[in-house]
Amino acid sequence: MEIIALTFNGQKVTCPSGTSLLQAAEQNGIKIPTLCYHPDLKPHGACRVCLVEDEKTGRLMASCVTPAAQDMSILTDTPRVLNHRKNIVRLMMAEHPESCIVCSKGNRCELRKIAANLGVGESGLYPMPNYTPFEQLNPFITRDLSKCILCGKCIRADHELVVTGAIEYNHRGFHSRPATLYEKPLEDSICTFCGTCVSICPTGALSVKNTRYVGTPEKETNSICGFCGAGCSLTMGVGGEKIVEVNPSKRKISVNGATLCMRGHFANDFINSSDRLIRPMIRPLTETKDEDSNDSHIEILWEDAFDSIASRMSAIKREHGPQSIAFIGSSKCSNEENYLFQKIARGIFETPNVINGGYAFGQKLLSYIDEKTHGTCRVAPLADLEDADVIITLCSEPEQTVPVAGYHIKRAAKKGSTLIVVDPVKTDLVMLSSLWIRPIPSPPADISIAELISALAKELIKGNFQDQQFIDQHTLGFNPFNDSLTDLDPAKAAAHSNVSAESLSRAVELIKDKKIAFVMGADILHYPEGDQLVDAVLNLCFLTGSLGTKGAGIFIPLPENNIMGAMDMGMVPDLLPGRIKIESETDQGIDLGAFIESVEAGQIKAAYIMGENLSRALPQSLRVASALKNLEFMVVQDIVNNKTAQMADVILPGAAVYEKSGSFTNMEGRIQTFEPVVPPPGDAKADWEILAHIAKAMGHPEQYQTIGKIRQEIRRVVPMYQGLGNHHQDWIKNSNSNNPLSGGKTKFLFSPHRASGDRQAEGAYPFVARISSVRYHLGSGTRTSRSERIRVYARKGEIEISPADCRDLGLNGSGLVRVKSEFGTLEREFKQNNRLPGGHILIPMAVNNNDAMNLVGLTGNEQSDSYGWTLSRVSLEKI
Amino acid sequence: MDPKEIDWNKLESIIEAHRTQDWSLIPLLQEVQEAFGYIPPESIEPIAESLNMQPAQVQGVITFYAGFSLKPKGKCVLKVCRGTACHVKGSRSILRHVKNELELEEGETSEDYQFTLETVACLGACFLAPTMMVNREYFGKLNPTKVSSVLGQYSKNKEDEG
Repeated sequence: MEIIALTFNGQKVTCPSGTSLLQAAEQNGIKIPTLCYHPDLKPHGACRVCLVEDEKTGRLMASCVTPAAQDMSILTDTPRVLNHRKNIVRLMMAEHPESCIVCSKGNRCELRKIAANLGVGESGLYPMPNYTPFEQLNPFITRDLSKCILCGKCIRADHELVVTGAIEYNHRGFHSRPATLYEKPLEDSICTFCGTCVSICPTGALSVKNTRYVGTPEKETNSICGFCGAGCSLTMGVGGEKIVEVNPSKRKISVNGATLCMRGHFANDFINSSDRLIRPMIRPLTETKDEDSNDSHIEILWEDAFDSIASRMSAIKREHGPQSIAFIGSSKCSNEENYLFQKIARGIFETPNVINGGYAFGQKLLSYIDEKTHGTCRVAPLADLEDADVIITLCSEPEQTVPVAGYHIKRAAKKGSTLIVVDPVKTDLVMLSSLWIRPIPSPPADISIAELISALAKELIKGNFQDQQFIDQHTLGFNPFNDSLTDLDPAKAAAHSNVSAESLSRAVELIKDKKIAFVMGADILHYPEGDQLVDAVLNLCFLTGSLGTKGAGIFIPLPENNIMGAMDMGMVPDLLPGRIKIESETDQGIDLGAFIESVEAGQIKAAYIMGENLSRALPQSLRVASALKNLEFMVVQDIVNNKTAQMADVILPGAAVYEKSGSFTNMEGRIQTFEPVVPPPGDAKADWEILAHIAKAMGHPEQYQTIGKIRQEIRRVVPMYQGLGNHHQDWIKNSNSNNPLSGGKTKFLFSPHRASGDRQAEGAYPFVARISSVRYHLGSGTRTSRSERIRVYARKGEIEISPADCRDLGLNGSGLVRVKSEFGTLEREFKQNNRLPGGHILIPMAVNNNDAMNLVGLTGNEQSDSYGWTLSRVSLEKI
Repeated sequence: MDPKEIDWNKLESIIEAHRTQDWSLIPLLQEVQEAFGYIPPESIEPIAESLNMQPAQVQGVITFYAGFSLKPKGKCVLKVCRGTACHVKGSRSILRHVKNELELEEGETSEDYQFTLETVACLGACFLAPTMMVNREYFGKLNPTKVSSVLGQYSKNKEDEG
């Protein structure tokens, strides 16, 4: 790269060619004020505040859009420049309403800062405020476009960063304003309320809506978002002891940059919920266990709570054996907490029954893929997707589950990566895709994507497009795999799913000789042919050599913040810390379904549940609730009072993410530490502190007085985490030195293709219901439903039905429908969703006590008509 | 004809002719404007879809150009010049006279969709000042009598007689 030399105010500087004057100045510590510039956005040159003067020609230029050239002599603060800059700001002020004093942006307003620095008080011009109606019907964003200075940051962030395209400049000149389609309010547009525009707006034109006055932040502290698996860096504005504002952090390295999503930006107000648990409580022995008996618990001292737990659980262990105790950890709690929790379970209580809620939602898939790829997919930075040749998304809607992963995919597609979407639903990604494969079998039989993927593999081999070198060097079992494809007829497989033969051949064209990044929904194992599908994807991955190259491999958007970490810390029945497989099945613990069955059968007598709301998150809530009542002793450690807590014998108030120290591992394998932003409410304690006390009460010799002590032990025991706590972020180290790509002896193993059975829809339950997470809720919604803003926005959670089915069922406008499955019935309002194919309905999770989970069966999916926890066969009728 | 009724087949054939062509947004919009006299708001989404754009972007382009309109216009679009030369020659009175005659304000369209009244910064025919245009026809050296006769020429009744 050519280096050019120029001067700023007489000071000699150098910079690579292609650098803008503004960047060159910034790199050399010369400050130029800006309004419309943002490092993550393409320069726009709208505000002209960054004017500088070229000494030789006397020209005034906007430095953000002027490339630096050899021997330029730039002046940044001559009286002439300052005078022009001042005039520009005066013109903006003349158009600005006089509401600075009550503007929520306050001293953080960049326009105000620049005006103050330039000494612009009153503009001295004829005021021409451009009054526009205040828009604040939605619970998230207040739009006061009178204060808009037309910098275009919101529009550019919308187009370039989150790639939604909800807003665009409308009209021109004085009337120009950012507007949605048909100038509708935001809530009627395609806006996703990610709030990126709010954080990036330099003035008070866009601000966060609060239902009551919360004040402006007095200080800002960085933290990590505790919702989905992206693990975004946040900056939390604190006023008093409350979090009053959330913005993307300004840290240089983060997964999210300047973006966030609706949950991260607006739903963190759950921590101020009045449902927070603030004191340890115990149920007097005389009280009966009832989820509805609200006030049956009495407050006790922490010491008494610890003693009671230690003595009761020890007694149960003595009487019934260690197998009678189960420990349910949480994919929402930190690495340190999960490590300590499983250590208490396995080390002190000697029980193998260790599990967490994320096991069903991604961990199973993660550990299977980890095993098959020998750890080569452990680190999968989302930023790499933007360098991918080809991205194939499989039944995953990251823009709903892990929005930040969705932004990366959309940006990649916009930059020119080939995007192939395989999904019966027309997701937001389809518009940006090069090819949309929409498998919809008719008559509505099971979707058979595994066959399609295998057909793709067969076509690739037929054209000799496989990466033979990779196959020879790193894999085993190619020939048996190839043989197993003999009976597979690609044309028939495509026809079975109503996919045209052209789509298939187009897909072959697009992926041949390319490395592929696969993005798979975390719940794909819940599909009727889940394991076959995963095998088919892995085969295609090996066949194309899509491992070990930047921007290729397997990416799994995980729906919860620490699914990866909880697994790495061994909070799962079949893995010890560091993903060490427990080989003997008898030594393994049980999964959540089996846990409930064991409780029902009276084999498990005591359970310690940390950060999981089982009677809300699991299917068949009534069955789960009545099972939990069977327990002799139950401890619930949580942050909010919930149904499960109300049935507990001892309730321990834990601390939310922003009230404690810890670390999470996100879906990329990025380990991020965080420090408390605010103190926990009342007597609540950080969960790791509570666990340290429990260990002590149980007489464990090791004392964990600081989080550093736990981290030290993790670094020692789990080589993957040797970087934990050294910096605020680090990556999982691949400790598997035996992996095929680093010259290890092991090889990737092809799995032979298995023809999938032809399961036809049953007459009684002709519809496929997708019980799915929506972007405004997370998981079962225990936390998001405590967010005031989310509650206002998402009260109903309408069942979404395709236009064809609406027509057939005579559904128009609005009304109620009844959905019935083998396991339960649900009545809700409906709405038409043009993105769904006929025969598929979508039921948002988390609303109305997460009653959607009552449509699926807790156990025994193999025999039943329900597939897993995310798909169910149902019938649908109008009420 | 009720101008609010959209000939969807016609719209579709225009859109199909440009589908997935690069840089064809403005030619497409021009054709729609030409065919319908305006760009029906309902057409924004199909147009965006065909060009792989966001509807809001298409709307942004439409509202930016004065040549595109999202509202139906009258059969006769009057453009009264408000440029400097015409102003000196009394175009303010001409405009006032037109407004009185048609009972319309600037930017408005008559209920029967016969007339739309617009003003422009300059028609480039200053030697004819004060001027106005009706559709593609120029009328210069205007005075109130001449304006009335021009308007009469384009009025609905006149057409019916003819």
